[in-house]
Amino acid sequence: MVTKNNAEVVVIGTGVVGVLIAEQLLDAGISVLMLEAGPRVSRAEIVENFRNAPLGLKGDTSVSYPPAPWAPHPTGPTGGAHDYLQLSGPDSYAQTYIRYAGGSTWHWAGTSWRLTPEDMRLKSLYGVGRDWAFDYDTLDPFYTRAEYKLGICGPSNPEQQWPRRARLKPYPMPPLPFSPGETRFTQIVKELGYNNIPVSQARNSGMPYDDRPACCANNNCVPVCPVGAKYDAATALGRLEAKGAKILADAVVYKVETNGQNRIEAVHYLDPNKQSHRVAGKLFVIAANGLETPKLLLMSKDDRNPNGIANRSDQVGRNMMDHPQLTLTVTTKEPFWSGVGPVVNSGIMETSQGAFRSEHAGAYFRYNNFARNRFVTFAALKKGLVGKALDEEIRRMTACTADIVAAHEILPHPDNRLTLSDKTDWLGLPKPSIHYDVGDYVRRSAEVYSLPIGKKIAAAMGATDVKISPKFAQSKHIMGGTIMGADAMNSVVDTDCRSHDHDNLFLPGGGAMASTACGNSTITMAALALRSADAIVSQMKGAH
Amino acid sequence: MGGFLQAHFDDENATRRQLSEAKMKLPVSRRRLLIGSAAMAVGYVALSTSPAFPAAPAAAASGEALNAKFMRLSNLLINHRLSPAVGARIAEGAAADHKDMAAMMDQIIAIAEQKQARVVEDFFEDIPAGPAKEFAHWVIFAWYSGVSSPKPDAKVFTFEEALTFQTTSDVVTIPSYGLSGPNLWSQATVPLSQMPRF
Ligand SMILES: Cc1cc2nc3c(=O)[nH]c(=O)nc-3n(C[C@H](O)[C@H](O)[C@H](O)COP(=O)(O)OP(=O)(O)OC[C@H]3O[C@@H](n4cnc5c(N)ncnc54)[C@H](O)[C@@H]3O)c2cc1C
Ligand code: SF4
Repeated sequence: MVTKNNAEVVVIGTGVVGVLIAEQLLDAGISVLMLEAGPRVSRAEIVENFRNAPLGLKGDTSVSYPPAPWAPHPTGPTGGAHDYLQLSGPDSYAQTYIRYAGGSTWHWAGTSWRLTPEDMRLKSLYGVGRDWAFDYDTLDPFYTRAEYKLGICGPSNPEQQWPRRARLKPYPMPPLPFSPGETRFTQIVKELGYNNIPVSQARNSGMPYDDRPACCANNNCVPVCPVGAKYDAATALGRLEAKGAKILADAVVYKVETNGQNRIEAVHYLDPNKQSHRVAGKLFVIAANGLETPKLLLMSKDDRNPNGIANRSDQVGRNMMDHPQLTLTVTTKEPFWSGVGPVVNSGIMETSQGAFRSEHAGAYFRYNNFARNRFVTFAALKKGLVGKALDEEIRRMTACTADIVAAHEILPHPDNRLTLSDKTDWLGLPKPSIHYDVGDYVRRSAEVYSLPIGKKIAAAMGATDVKISPKFAQSKHIMGGTIMGADAMNSVVDTDCRSHDHDNLFLPGGGAMASTACGNSTITMAALALRSADAIVSQMKGAH
Repeated sequence: MGGFLQAHFDDENATRRQLSEAKMKLPVSRRRLLIGSAAMAVGYVALSTSPAFPAAPAAAASGEALNAKFMRLSNLLINHRLSPAVGARIAEGAAADHKDMAAMMDQIIAIAEQKQARVVEDFFEDIPAGPAKEFAHWVIFAWYSGVSSPKPDAKVFTFEEALTFQTTSDVVTIPSYGLSGPNLWSQATVPLSQMPRF
């Protein structure tokens, strides 16, 4: 075992959360070593993987990202790591994420809805779930910083902003143009009393930003933006290195080591040759995402921490959350036309709020703007048409079908739990096992609220056919497994995402979120990361 | 990046391997280009009822003859301009799966010629149900979808040249290929009836 000790702060994971923190520390003159489980892969190679994938597989976001044997991430049935997540329970916590340098924002859509003040006070306002340990105003400046760091575009008209309250600063860039389908959808839902507003999104709008080019409508944000107009954390790695960060790829951290004071002394990683290495440091940040972070903590149990690191509360790996979603695939008489501009570009957020939240979940509705050829071509061909009739059918099905997605909030529940499976991966490390039930709060919403609204929208669109997904799918927003709270007995981290149990261990990101709301949550993870970074800087400078 | 991914692809991503093999095996010779464009002109402009290649060069490799015949067939089955390079990849994929491909092509072409077909609608109904008709459907499938089947292990012949995208090229992006300049893609809706020419 080799001991390496060459940085004050060791950051595990080079996803958006790890990268944001690392850069703040580097800017404050603190040395940083980043350990990244996966390989470092070029954008060109990922784009090539996408283009060379069979049409029938292009909808599987993991196809462009074949996992390294030592850093498996969940894939579709043919991707080689289909059973990496061991799933049980009435609903399936089938996530996807990417274990490559740069992490899962490689294939995120970039949708960046903030929480509302109410979203952070579910217990006090509606008697359900948990309140956050601080209020919206505390988070607000960090949201603004995160939006400037990632480059979020959004509307300047306050009526079109989310949440509807004064912003500290305008968005750094204006909103992007709508596709014909988005324009039509916006008009139609307006007649029903709903506002479909431009999404705040991590995409360069009309101008370069952050040394990245302007979006030019490649409509491929998921699984990969070919030009880097969408923020992804991989775009920051070179800059971090220029600022002095050391980034070690193919380094799978498998153990967190404590010392006699129960502080973190070192972490251990395996390389692709299955050799173990030890890395010491003064302070440690685990930013391996909402699923791999709790897994690593549970894997690292020792005599002082028999339930796992940071787990005196027994809450590590519990309260696993996401945004359970249902899709309505509608066929319309008139053409809508999606597939111009980014893949998600607008949404109805106001349906996520209301007094009904004491009874059931809210929901956010979005009109997916993916080019639809890949979804309809096989079905059109199956009809056996040829010539003009075939051309017309493909064109009709591409233009006259649309996916409306209802994404729900979910409450933290201790039984929605990640544990270590007795099955192991290529390195011999335990696979994550997750038990999941979306719960009555979500099911009731689908029954009495979200699906009725969705059907009303579909009818107003002139739908001749509506297919509703039979089960809740995951939105890939992994939250809750290292939950934040003021009480060390029922939460894992404090308001800075510092472990209650180990004062030199930070666990920032989605795991800390105490409520999910309905909107995609990475911008909240990013805001929490910046808040952690400030706390780490002052702690390292001796103020803590 | 490390050698792993390359090795990984070579071992596991058959599609990718087949694609690169196809590329390697099919250097575009000048003659092929000429034959290809001849086939294209015949197919698109006139869909001539006279045999496209009355005197295929005697020295032509059987692969080339097969490709030429395949393009002739494709131009009968599809009323659009077709890329000979894509055609060559589809032909190779077809030959691997259909041993009696040459005979089926002859059969279908003969029916079209007999009907003096100008477009596929003129003769498709006349192809009797059975292997030749299934093959004709498959050829159309391959050109429109760019793949050999809807399955995950399908052979990939093309992505961006798959004809499905041509039917909507006036509005819809081919994913990963930029459509316009920064924020210049606002556009009014277009009617279904305005089929792009391709
Ligand atoms: C298809 C898809 C679309 C999405 N769209 C959106 C969206 O529109 N909006 C939104 O808000 N969110 C979206 N998300 C979610 C978003 O991608 C994640 O919330 C975000 O990437 C989480 O950031 P992170 O830094 O916590 O984790 P990640 O980005 O997952 O990064 C974690 C990093 O840690 C590394 N790591 C893991 N384990 C170890 C280990 N043991 N040792 C060392 N390193 C390790 C990983 O390799 C990875 O690089 C989407 C996700 C998917 C899959
Ligand atoms: S629309 Fe295209 S350029 Fe814009 S972010 Fe998406 S993939 Fe990138």
